[in-house]
Amino acid sequence: MKRLQLQRWSSSVLSAQARTGGRLQHRLYNGIRHQSTASPAAPTANDQLIEEEPLAPSIHPPNSRQSKYQLPSPPVEAARESAKLAALHARLYLPSRLPLETLARSLVDASADPNPKFNNESLATLGHDLLTHYTSEYLICTYPRLPLTVIFAAMYAYVGPKTLAAMAREWGVESAAAPGGEVDPGYLQFKRIPPGADLKPVTGTARPHEDQAHWRKSITSSVVYDNEFGDPVKGPKNPSEQSKQDAQNIKGVTAEQANATFVRAVMGAIYLHAGRPAAKRFFEQHFLSRHLNISDLFNFSQPARDLSRLCARENFEQPVARIISETGRKSRHPVFVVGIYSGQDKLGEGAGASLLEARSRAAVAALKGWYLYSPLNVRVPSSMEEEGAAPWKPVHVDLGEVIV
Amino acid sequence: MRPSLRLLNLEVQGSRALYVCSVCRQEARPRPIVARQFLRHASSNADSLSERVRRKIWGTDNPPGLKDPYGESLLEKRFGKPKPQQQEESQVEETDELAESSDGLEPGVSYEPATSWHGLERVGHLGGWSDAPPSEADTYGSFGPKKKLYKKGPLSLAAHQAAVEISLMHALNKPLTNVCNVVEHDKSVFKMIWQTKILPNSTNWGEALEYRNENAKKSLFYIFEQIGSAQPETAKPADENAEVEEFEDFEEFEDPSGAASKQAFFGYQDARFKGFLTLPLTDPATKFAFLKRFSQLSGHFFPDNIVSQISTVKQAVDYIQGQLHPKPKKLAEHLENNKRLQAMPNIKIFSKRQTTLHRDDEMGRRKIIESELRARGLLE
Repeated sequence: MKRLQLQRWSSSVLSAQARTGGRLQHRLYNGIRHQSTASPAAPTANDQLIEEEPLAPSIHPPNSRQSKYQLPSPPVEAARESAKLAALHARLYLPSRLPLETLARSLVDASADPNPKFNNESLATLGHDLLTHYTSEYLICTYPRLPLTVIFAAMYAYVGPKTLAAMAREWGVESAAAPGGEVDPGYLQFKRIPPGADLKPVTGTARPHEDQAHWRKSITSSVVYDNEFGDPVKGPKNPSEQSKQDAQNIKGVTAEQANATFVRAVMGAIYLHAGRPAAKRFFEQHFLSRHLNISDLFNFSQPARDLSRLCARENFEQPVARIISETGRKSRHPVFVVGIYSGQDKLGEGAGASLLEARSRAAVAALKGWYLYSPLNVRVPSSMEEEGAAPWKPVHVDLGEVIV
Repeated sequence: MRPSLRLLNLEVQGSRALYVCSVCRQEARPRPIVARQFLRHASSNADSLSERVRRKIWGTDNPPGLKDPYGESLLEKRFGKPKPQQQEESQVEETDELAESSDGLEPGVSYEPATSWHGLERVGHLGGWSDAPPSEADTYGSFGPKKKLYKKGPLSLAAHQAAVEISLMHALNKPLTNVCNVVEHDKSVFKMIWQTKILPNSTNWGEALEYRNENAKKSLFYIFEQIGSAQPETAKPADENAEVEEFEDFEEFEDPSGAASKQAFFGYQDARFKGFLTLPLTDPATKFAFLKRFSQLSGHFFPDNIVSQISTVKQAVDYIQGQLHPKPKKLAEHLENNKRLQAMPNIKIFSKRQTTLHRDDEMGRRKIIESELRARGLLE
């Protein structure tokens, strides 16, 4: 497998004059998962907006104090003079091939500078795709039997916006009060939502019968209609309409969203400038290294029933709960230890103050033992991208959860 | 009267033997009866009570020890006249010695005290000094130039000139520091000096020079022969210039007191040959002569510790150039010149104090504040 020539890409990211035709489309379909068979509207040459983009902000006037105030985001030259930016670069131990200018660009949110040549939207799109790709393959290969809800929750915990915002805060990224050309490029710049504005839930999704709020939403449908975390997401629109709307009212974003976009953009920038190995290393060091106890993410409503269905599906013997030990049955605080057996095999064990509680705890333990199975020597599919990788052996991915 | 003077006033009061404390002598306070015990009339007389007791104790009329064990203070010893009794004794014993030592005169010089002021040397003035015409001692000629040299070219010119002159003095075997008698040479002489080359890496000052031609060598030797043999007081630059004019006819002659002399080194910008930089200054006499002449020409002073450190001409020139570019006084300037800090991208040095206003501006808060103030009419 030949490695991609990344330098060509990165030059187009860096230079303001470069056309961002391909990436602009990404920007317009930001957040849409393309795994569904329904492909979004194919971009045509007429829909491309690069020609219509006003050229005025792309050519920054010479450095003067007055003109700086008129810019929507700091000029490119300011990146070299910012001590904050250099400190952030050094603090994150970013590769030296990632220039300060790109790091400065990744700190400019689309709400601050709508020009796609200067904001971080394209970088964030790439970074988001990389992050979700790496996280999902890690989760599925490490825990092949996880239920989909747990996968959604784990994805959210690893690369969700809250986590990314917390990471940006841990990295010491401060946000500017308001974006502008005079702002130090080391600050995260975004247009804030005015105080008191209510955050409306996402509307205009691709899900049919969206207005029927009380209808049940199956987990399987969120694979198709929702985003990586199972949250509703805006459906695809005609790009020209959307851009018109964007240009008319650039709403602010929350600090959490802006911080998350920044972290994604950093990931994309590393991928573009330093290559895939560096991006993977960055992902392992900053994302996978965060400890997540997946067994806490489970939430069973009827574990005993789930377990019996599971045993039926897997052709095990029907599970039987047996008391292993008990103490103080007549007292105020009795303790029962119940084991669940399938034939001669003990599937799980639990202790509780009543027999029912102990049985359901034992069933939960048995279910977790099943779902949290993890093979040894986990390999992810993206490891095959490296040169000289060992031949691929298909990993075991289970049927998934029990559908009752 | 100050207390110290009051003490010194003792001798005016006459008899030293009858010591009276200064308070009592001034009679500043009413003297109580008890104060009489401080009067020591009794102790100083030969047949005083203490003397009588001493005689009785020792059993002789001439008891050993001081005549008055309490009487002579240190001040009296120092400033007081010798007592008449002692004088009598010394006159009896050693008259000659005393005469010599008390006068403090050299033997053979007779001292006659003056009775009137006629014939005495006049010191100071008796008023009306401003009417007196200025004497020769009143005119002040500075040792160095009026203006210090600040540029690199004139400094090396001065160093070159000083080196050539000291080398000439070495070659002629004349006293080295005599070159300082002529503050400024004539233009023709200066041009000859300027054209004289100092061989680089030469260690001997006397053989370091390479003259432009024989004529120049002869004339330079003639001039510096005279400068070297002249006494410091008698050597006058004007005379030298006149002699030079007679001796050598050079192309153009400009009045040294005219426009050309206002310009340092007659408009020459830089030394032609840089061989003088390597000349050693290990010999103390040469070093002193060179630094003296160099500081006279350049106007810069060499402190003693620097003089002891200097071992070549280059170090002397470098020192002055280092003086001209001193350390900056502000910390920010100092840090801005620090190349290590400059190379660090995560350090930013501001020449001015950063205030809240700067921070607001940097964070983009300032324009919001200003717009709000404008909206309320609090800002123009």
